[in-house]
Amino acid sequence: MKEQLAVMELVNLKKTIRKKEIIKGISFQIQRGEVFGFLGPNGAGKTTTIRMMVGLMGITDGDVLIEGKSIRNEFKQAVRHVGAIVENPEMYPFLSGWKNLQQYARMMEGITEERIREVVALVGLEKAIHEKAGRYSLGMRQRLGIAQALLHNPSILILDEPTNGLDPSGIREIRLYLRKLAEEENVAVIVSSHLLSEIELMCDRIGIIKNGKLIAIEQVKKTTVEDEALIVQLEAEPVNGALQIVKSHILGDVVVEGNLLTFSTNRDALPAIIKALAMKDVAVYGLHHQRATLEDKFFDLIGENVIG
Amino acid sequence: MANFLKLVWNEQVKLFNRKSSWVMIGFILVLVIVNGVMTQFFGSDEQETVYSDNWREELVAENEKILANTNEEDMNYYLDQEQLAKNTFYLEEDQKPIPYDALTFTYESYMLLLLITIFTIIVASSIVANEFKWGTIKLLLIRPIQRSKILFAKYVSVFLFSGILMVVLLVFSFLVGAVLFGVNGLSGDILLTKPMGGYEIASAWAATFKEYGLNLVALVVMATLAFMISVLFRSSAMAIGLSIFLLMAGNGLVLFLSKYAWVKFILFANLNLGQYFNGGTPTIEGMTLAFSVTVLVAYFVVFIVAAFWSFTKRDIA
Repeated sequence: MKEQLAVMELVNLKKTIRKKEIIKGISFQIQRGEVFGFLGPNGAGKTTTIRMMVGLMGITDGDVLIEGKSIRNEFKQAVRHVGAIVENPEMYPFLSGWKNLQQYARMMEGITEERIREVVALVGLEKAIHEKAGRYSLGMRQRLGIAQALLHNPSILILDEPTNGLDPSGIREIRLYLRKLAEEENVAVIVSSHLLSEIELMCDRIGIIKNGKLIAIEQVKKTTVEDEALIVQLEAEPVNGALQIVKSHILGDVVVEGNLLTFSTNRDALPAIIKALAMKDVAVYGLHHQRATLEDKFFDLIGENVIG
Repeated sequence: MANFLKLVWNEQVKLFNRKSSWVMIGFILVLVIVNGVMTQFFGSDEQETVYSDNWREELVAENEKILANTNEEDMNYYLDQEQLAKNTFYLEEDQKPIPYDALTFTYESYMLLLLITIFTIIVASSIVANEFKWGTIKLLLIRPIQRSKILFAKYVSVFLFSGILMVVLLVFSFLVGAVLFGVNGLSGDILLTKPMGGYEIASAWAATFKEYGLNLVALVVMATLAFMISVLFRSSAMAIGLSIFLLMAGNGLVLFLSKYAWVKFILFANLNLGQYFNGGTPTIEGMTLAFSVTVLVAYFVVFIVAAFWSFTKRDIA
């Protein structure tokens, strides 16, 4: 079988604006059905990179290949496979949602009225579609933006800060929706964000960009792996008894605040600790743990102070 | 081609779904009515006189009556003098007086073309700049269509809209003229006042289209200038302001600089091609129609090249 081509490939992409190098050679590939997070502080070059991916900005050096076509030299063939929202989902406020979609439908061959109805249903805008887009809430505009991006069945969907300004339920909705698109339609999705917490849950991989350079690509683990390090918070009484037991089971430090013990351990060490606590008549009121690897790495890589 | 027509259709949808376009059309309708009512109200009584087959005697009698009144204080004195000149012209040409009717009123509607020129400048200034203002340019330019094609569709759309305004002006003028002054047939001759004084008789539609055609030159060139400025600066305010200012002040500028030889190369010295028709004299001595057309084409090419170069090459930030 033929090796499947990456949907999108960035090849040593560079951008220089007024002799200042903004993007300093970014390379990565995105596969079909993958949700790729593009993470970095504001001003790191996310939006510039995305604008080069879709041909809004010229490329100083390197290239972006979409389905093997260069956005520089074969713009029409390359951009045909892309659906995108760059920055905010901006629509013609004086046109209805439907008429907005018609505008984009007319700009590409073979988009039927049936297809417009399909994407409207897909993003759940049937009720409001004939209202003026100027009266839409941000969440509705975001959905109309996604509908616009999906009209022509793109193989890659690029969303710049899709959760910006959305409330938690809106963010959840987008997350579930993008995962569904990737899994069911095999669409590759790129989402950019400056907040790890917002995209961590929806992405398979996260590329971290800082000062115009891609400094790391992290795989996001979907299932908890046995040896994964956890941060554990334990509420117990008496604290001293609990502290002794915990210390005998782990290697690192334990932070004590009132009744609360915070420590780091492997997942498979937890049952033994809990069992020992129960045996020694220590009352356990609560135990919480979180995976912190990605966030820790993110802060290590970026440095807390530059998060905008 | 089908593709291109769809782009133009898109632009028309955007234009006609906005209030400002309808305000422009409403403005034209109102001004035509006002113009008609004023013409009827302030026109001389003789204008409405219906002459019989004995029109020669009637004109002579009218002229004697006018000449008898030498009171310059009389409200109608100057109107009467004009009527006298017209009557004399008819008598000399041995032409039965042509009544003021819908055709004449339609012909005179060319004076409102200045308004349409201004509206066209406004549309030309905002058709690209608005996409930047709304942020929709980022969705528009990520379609599998060359930027130059999108820009050309916008450029064509400006003049399609302008053409629609002109048709509205012509048709509505004829209708208002028909109601206020009556119709004496759908074609025929009308009496024209020559710019340097005197009268001439011409075919109504030929005269109308000649005026529209001459005004179209300034309209197209100034709208193209506005289009270019708005593409270069991505903002409509400067394009509208500068273009309308130059449209109004252009002639003054030329006069002010008329002592210099190079003034004839200024756009505004060449904008009014009417200076070569109707027995007019050119603004600057020695200028010819061919010279003006050459200068206009040169400016036009520069405007178009600058606009297309900027739109296709620059980054969308």
